[in-house]
Amino acid sequence: MNEDTLLGGWLEWLPSLLDGLWLSVRLAGASLIIGIPLGLALALLMSARHKWVRVLAIIVVEVGRGTPALVMLQIVYFGLPSAGLTVGSFVAAVVALALTTGAYTSEILRAGLQAVPHGEVEAASALAMNNRDTLRFIVIPQGVRIAIPALLGFAILILQATALTFTIALPELLSRSYSIGSNTFRYLDVLLLAGLLYLIITLPAGWLTTWTERRMARHL
Amino acid sequence: MIYLQAVLLGVPMTVLITVLAFAVGAVLGVPLALARRSPLAPLRVAARFVIDVLRGIPPVVFLFVIYFGIGTDVIKLSSLQAAVVGLGLIAAGYLAEIYRGGLLAVHKGQFESAAALGMNSWTSMTRIIGPQAFRVALPSATTYAIGLLKDSSIASTITATEILYRATASSRGHGAGLEPFLIAAVVYIALGAPLAWLSRTMDAKMRARVAR
Amino acid sequence: MTTTPGPLTDSPVGVTLRDVRKQFGDHVVVDDVSMEVAPGEVVSIIGPSGAGKSTLLRCINLLERPDSGDITVGDVTIHPETGVSPKDLTSLRRTAGMVFQSFNLFPHLTVLRNISIAQERVLGRDRKEAEARSRELLARVGLAEKADTYPTRSSGGQQQRIAIARALAMEPKVMLFDEPTSALDPELGLDVLEVMRGLAGEGMTMIVVTHEMHFAQDVSDRIVVMADGRIIEQGPPSQVLTAPSNERTKRFLRAVTDR
Repeated sequence: MNEDTLLGGWLEWLPSLLDGLWLSVRLAGASLIIGIPLGLALALLMSARHKWVRVLAIIVVEVGRGTPALVMLQIVYFGLPSAGLTVGSFVAAVVALALTTGAYTSEILRAGLQAVPHGEVEAASALAMNNRDTLRFIVIPQGVRIAIPALLGFAILILQATALTFTIALPELLSRSYSIGSNTFRYLDVLLLAGLLYLIITLPAGWLTTWTERRMARHL
Repeated sequence: MIYLQAVLLGVPMTVLITVLAFAVGAVLGVPLALARRSPLAPLRVAARFVIDVLRGIPPVVFLFVIYFGIGTDVIKLSSLQAAVVGLGLIAAGYLAEIYRGGLLAVHKGQFESAAALGMNSWTSMTRIIGPQAFRVALPSATTYAIGLLKDSSIASTITATEILYRATASSRGHGAGLEPFLIAAVVYIALGAPLAWLSRTMDAKMRARVAR
Repeated sequence: MTTTPGPLTDSPVGVTLRDVRKQFGDHVVVDDVSMEVAPGEVVSIIGPSGAGKSTLLRCINLLERPDSGDITVGDVTIHPETGVSPKDLTSLRRTAGMVFQSFNLFPHLTVLRNISIAQERVLGRDRKEAEARSRELLARVGLAEKADTYPTRSSGGQQQRIAIARALAMEPKVMLFDEPTSALDPELGLDVLEVMRGLAGEGMTMIVVTHEMHFAQDVSDRIVVMADGRIIEQGPPSQVLTAPSNERTKRFLRAVTDR
């Protein structure tokens, strides 16, 4: 097939772009696996007994949510070396996106935990269960389940955010697309393919999110 | 302190991009939301698809397509124009869904009583349904506006001279320093705070006024 | 493992409340109330809405923290004003079991696990022992077949009986009931009242906040009437329900029977 046609170009660039997409997916996965438990920890800390713990947690969350992801990436990428840690772009990207994930998901999880009927917490207390067990067996399992649709929605946003990591020299999908673009000057062609590849993941993920939302609403 | 001045130079552009993109999205979101509810199936499906794509594509990729893809070969677009078009279209997708949520929240009986009183679609929508849907949609729309403020930072990647662009230039000019980015973060948080406060007070006022 | 069904508790204890006061902001909900319940006694608390009945009950197991007063359950006395140690709190809640108006079962756990979980976590029983005991109690309330189902699959009356079994699994020596049948259709409520009757017959100390006048009349040893945060009258059912001395009581009973 003639390389100069749209489809020809796509076929030629596909292997490289797919490598980039896979990198994006791994990055998103790592960020979520670290970030969501972090978010749960922050959500629990925001109801801690000591005032200063609560305040610190709120500050971390507000800063994490108020800082754009792109800025967070630069801060971590340029900040870690200053702290004496030389890490590669991938690790820096994971740290930045995990922090952002933690901040955003803490609000999502906090809402989920609060949605667990208070009567159940009272019943657990009346049964002489301590706070830790009540959280562990009654509140957290149900709260996280309630938060799943919103967490899925956020996961999609994190995958979209991985495209920003080209600014810290990560050879992910967008970075490769742009390189190909500057080599061939067929920016539109290659960027359309990149967009399509992202959509291949985010569109079904979005439909899954809507479906889980509906299923949870029905079960209430 | 030189960093702060440099970074603050980007604030007008940030605000401009945010306001214009939100305006574009707020306006275009209306036909999109209405199309989503159209009795014509092809229109509904098309609207749904457009909204899904706008919300599914990474904003930076969309901006690149518009600025580097379309904005150089097909027509000449400045960074600002590309950013407003790109972020504005994406905003239209999100706001269309927010409008839809607002419309769904209005009790079905309202539509019926408006029709029973002899109002046509236009009157009932603007006088009865619209205001109520607006009330429900406003908190979500404000939250989205705050998100848009942060997303405007993405325009730095297509050389719009907003806050992050200034911070990056400042950093490069002084040996890849961290400080300009920290200052940029503070500025974004500071800009977002009044909007967040506004959202909270409006939310509280609205709860007080709605008779339930 | 089967054990012969015997009395659910061989040593019920008494409850004493002394000058218990609870207010929310300016509103005094429980106004220096004192009350004594003897071991094995069944006391029904009745009265108009907002009288403070539920709040008083919830002060006993400290779901509400009184602003002042003493609470004695068995031989543990606490003074909430000066603070309650975790040890005392646990002891209190193990001794006093509670059944709620809205059952408050854990929907994400099976019925069996609902009844077993506190036994394992609080009483330290191992899973086998806890589950065996749970099945016994389920059989006692007539719902053995529901063990491996989820609570939402049972009717309201069944869920309440499961809730009673869950409370009994902790081997309490006092049972507190907060309007146990108010959320149930009258028919479904009958089964629950049967279980409660059985408990009373076995000698359990029971304090029941209720609107069920028949139950109060048939099963209680004493009826306590509350209004505006105070006890306005108390005595045996025959006296309080048929020949009350207080005007407020008369008004309340008239309103209840006229509906």
